[in-house]
Amino acid sequence: MAVEVVLPALGLTVEKGTILKWLKREGDIVTKGESLFEVETEKVTTEVESPASGILKKILIPEGIEVPILTVVAVITKQGESLPDKYDMMGIQKPQKKEEPVQIHIQEASFSMSSGPGEIKALPAARWLAKEEGVSLSLIKGSGPGRSILLKDVKSFLAKEAQRGPKILITPTARKLADKKGIPFTSIQGTGISGRVVKADVLEAEARFKLAETRPVPTSVKPSGLSKYKLGQIVPMSSIRKVIAKRMAQSKFTAPHVYFFNDVNMEKLLALREDVVTDLEEKEGIRISINDFFIKAVALSLKEYPILNSMVSGEEIRILPEINVGLAVAMENGLIVPAIPKADQLGLVEIARYRSDLVERAREARLTIEETERGTFTISSLAQFDITFFTAILNPPQSGILTVGKVEERPVVRGGQVMIQRMVRQGLSVDHRIIDGAVAAQFLQSLKKKLENPYSSFFSIC
Amino acid sequence: MKVAKELLLEMLKKMLEIRYFEEKVVDQYARGAVPGLAHLYIGEEAVAVGACMNLTDEDYITSTHRGHGHCIAKGGELKPMMAELFGKKTGYCKGKGGSMHIAAFDKGILGAMGIVGSGGPIAVGAALGIKKQNLDRVVICFFGDGASNEGATHEAMNFASLHKVPIIFVCENNLYGISVAQHRHQAIKDIAVRAAGYNMPGVIVDGMDVLAVYEEVKEAVKRAKSGKGPTLVECKTYRFRGHHEGDPNMGLRYRTKEEIADWRRRCPIETFKQKLIKQMVAKKKEIDEIEEDVKRRVEEAFVYAMESPFPDPEETLEDLFA
Amino acid sequence: MRELTFREAVVEALDIAMQRDPKIFLLGEDIGYYGGLFQATQGLMQKYGEDRVMDSPISESAILGAGIGSAIVGMHPIVEIMNVDFMPVCMDQLVNQAAKMRYMFGGQMKIPLVIRTTCGAGRGGAAHHAQAIHAVFMHFPGIKIVVPATPYDVKGLLFTAIEDENPVLFIEDKMMYNVKGEVPEGYYTVPFGQAVIRQKGKDVTIVATLRMVHKALTVAEEMEKEGIAIEVVDPRTLCPLDKDTIINSFKKTGKLVIVDEGNRVGNFGSEIASIIAEEAVEYIQAPILKVTAPHVPVPYSPVLEKEFYIPNEERIKKAVYRVLEFS
Repeated sequence: MAVEVVLPALGLTVEKGTILKWLKREGDIVTKGESLFEVETEKVTTEVESPASGILKKILIPEGIEVPILTVVAVITKQGESLPDKYDMMGIQKPQKKEEPVQIHIQEASFSMSSGPGEIKALPAARWLAKEEGVSLSLIKGSGPGRSILLKDVKSFLAKEAQRGPKILITPTARKLADKKGIPFTSIQGTGISGRVVKADVLEAEARFKLAETRPVPTSVKPSGLSKYKLGQIVPMSSIRKVIAKRMAQSKFTAPHVYFFNDVNMEKLLALREDVVTDLEEKEGIRISINDFFIKAVALSLKEYPILNSMVSGEEIRILPEINVGLAVAMENGLIVPAIPKADQLGLVEIARYRSDLVERAREARLTIEETERGTFTISSLAQFDITFFTAILNPPQSGILTVGKVEERPVVRGGQVMIQRMVRQGLSVDHRIIDGAVAAQFLQSLKKKLENPYSSFFSIC
Repeated sequence: MKVAKELLLEMLKKMLEIRYFEEKVVDQYARGAVPGLAHLYIGEEAVAVGACMNLTDEDYITSTHRGHGHCIAKGGELKPMMAELFGKKTGYCKGKGGSMHIAAFDKGILGAMGIVGSGGPIAVGAALGIKKQNLDRVVICFFGDGASNEGATHEAMNFASLHKVPIIFVCENNLYGISVAQHRHQAIKDIAVRAAGYNMPGVIVDGMDVLAVYEEVKEAVKRAKSGKGPTLVECKTYRFRGHHEGDPNMGLRYRTKEEIADWRRRCPIETFKQKLIKQMVAKKKEIDEIEEDVKRRVEEAFVYAMESPFPDPEETLEDLFA
Repeated sequence: MRELTFREAVVEALDIAMQRDPKIFLLGEDIGYYGGLFQATQGLMQKYGEDRVMDSPISESAILGAGIGSAIVGMHPIVEIMNVDFMPVCMDQLVNQAAKMRYMFGGQMKIPLVIRTTCGAGRGGAAHHAQAIHAVFMHFPGIKIVVPATPYDVKGLLFTAIEDENPVLFIEDKMMYNVKGEVPEGYYTVPFGQAVIRQKGKDVTIVATLRMVHKALTVAEEMEKEGIAIEVVDPRTLCPLDKDTIINSFKKTGKLVIVDEGNRVGNFGSEIASIIAEEAVEYIQAPILKVTAPHVPVPYSPVLEKEFYIPNEERIKKAVYRVLEFS
């Protein structure tokens, strides 16, 4: 008589259990009370004993299956007895694998943008827009699946860039290079398509800077009048000189220069300086110079006539967002022009500090590229030389440059009377492509007015 | 002979046209001048000519990959045929079809097909269309022993017989389906017996005897036109050359020299010529003149083809849809 | 306007066409006395006689050949291949003969033949009576392919097919025969090569064929409540294909899901994706997804057929959500 082995009721609340391990195999002889299998419930693991002696003829529920209690899990027969038919049909086949719920293996919702490490994942529309706008994808953070760059990511990047300033057109390569070298490319004039800044432009900006990175000039303001060149000598141009030569020529021949001059009565300004210079030196530790006044006056005038604080880019005129006035400093091998940043917003003392520091470091060849590239307008002074006035070539990509000659006593006519006054002749060169005579004249006039009326002009400073 | 002399001479002329046309192709093919494939009808001329002599321009035929014979017999002109073989713009199919797909719709030639057995259903369709329009026309469907094993052929025969459409199935049993001899590709010897399976008459005729073919097909045409339905006319014939140009040694890979020689002795053109002379239907001189004329016209056709331009590359995209 | 079922629209179209043109005759299996397996030729034999509505032996090659041959010699046959699954039986006649005869014979003849057939799974038809292999035929130049999705369209497109002097493969989705829609009386045509935008939207483009159009519309309606605007494009004919409408719709949304009941590889959607990748690549904002049947034959058991095989709304939604992850 076959005996059913059931999963016994294991506790008041237990409703099912999982057979963990069969301790006997089909065909084994079992004795009543002997442990047959281990079962696990939520509470505990138990061993279940055999209810009878005989042969464990058939195991109906294999290991790993959870069944309700009282399920027939095996059949014990007597020696020689055959298994009743009904038990052949019972039992559950051990499942091959747990079937996943109809998980669509159809690839339609799968998207594996497999790519190697360091590879940029971007959707075509995003790539396209980035390319159009000259933006390197490496600068954009992707918010899509798998950190892929979406169209909206490129758009928001561009919007942020636009907020930062006028749209700068720069190729990805140039941008990378500029970032690497710490050059603010906003001031680099682009020679690429639509005035894009290209790699060559960045390299030239660097070269321009490097040109002055030669032996420090002795601290005397006047560079030695003795030339290092000899008659008959053939001097091959250094690569830096070549670059500068090219840029100078380019500037002169690209931008039609036009020149304006006026004479400034320096009496009041000189008097003001006399008044304050010593006190300020004591108080602030800095000796203000006439140049500082010029810098400030120019900055304020540029504010009034922003067209002179601009650059040409392709077919656009870019009025630069900041007024950074550069001061040309003569070096051994050329000129370097560090710029005082946001000069319109600085007080005279601050300007003086900047000017002093920049000129000192310029002479020691210790300027940063940024300091030389940020300039938006240049003042070039030959006041220490015996030069009445002179014309200057625009410092690319700027649109205006002020020349300052020597301050000297001259006879002038005022109210029908001849007087001796300390005068200076200042000159303005502008890019006539974008700056017309009237504006240039007005600028120069305004500048003169400020210099001749220093108290009211500079009243807001200090 | 009950047949009028003009008709007999016409038959001779047509067979000669086919023979000289095909010989020209042999020559040109050997010179590498024919792009593509060529399957030549030499030896089987009596079948196409005998059958098509019963037809007018308004009747239709469908042809096979070995279609030059059918097309010439049905009235296809030598010049546009030759031009088509060379892929020229002036060919019947503007160079789009080539040897295996020659068609001349205005002459009722519905086309040579490259798919063995595919002509049957289309021929039956044409016959159905004729019947529906009550036109006094017939369709001849040419097919070979190889095609007789294609399912489409059986479907066609069943359908044709069921609807008693005006069609004649002319089977050119040349004893080989490419390289496989008939006894190796079908259990029967006479394909005509299959006609019984479709409840239509099946007749066997000597395919090397143009008159015999002519007479038999004549009966079948009559039958078809009277609404009694299709007939299967099996013509026992033989192709003297290989399956295609390029089949080495006239098919000696699978045929014997003796067999070829035997059949060549029964050349349909030579035997017909002899018959005409012997039965005093025509003198040798007349026959020679006809032959000369054919030779000349084939040569003219060849020159025409050579001088014709190739189609413009842009024509590749034309004639897809009406 | 009155409403007809898809089936009724077919019958009406055939009826009107046969009245207008005595050269039209029908040939197919069980189309006569039985009225067609799906009743799409119901009553026509009774009206026009056996001569014009012919019950055919089971000989697909003969059916096609009869159509081709009679069309060449002046008739206007409309033959029927009962299920598109049977098309491979007469594939030669369709793709080598009908499709190519005009071209390879240099334009000498016209073949004004309409081949009607049915497709679609959902009735336990299993592997041989439920396929949707219409995309396969796109590969053969020379066949026009029509895939109507509404009763209005099936009638108008059938008239156009009959007027067209080329072989036209006209595919009727057997699962749509009972779908109702507005159908005008009388004769009107719907042009080939003109897709229709069934629903406008700006977020995602769904291109769907046959019955899938309706599934796409259902999904569009549901997702509208979530604020997702789906544009559903119904191409109506696969050849000629209205690429412009599809591309222009795609350019608006930048996200594309194609829903087609064919198997996965070589699906109609594959061709659309290729067209987009070639002609509108700069607009692709997200991966292009195809919702198709899996790449297996049609299974029999309803659980397998209906819940797994046939593209359903859930899977379409899932695909839509997936592409929206990229917006």
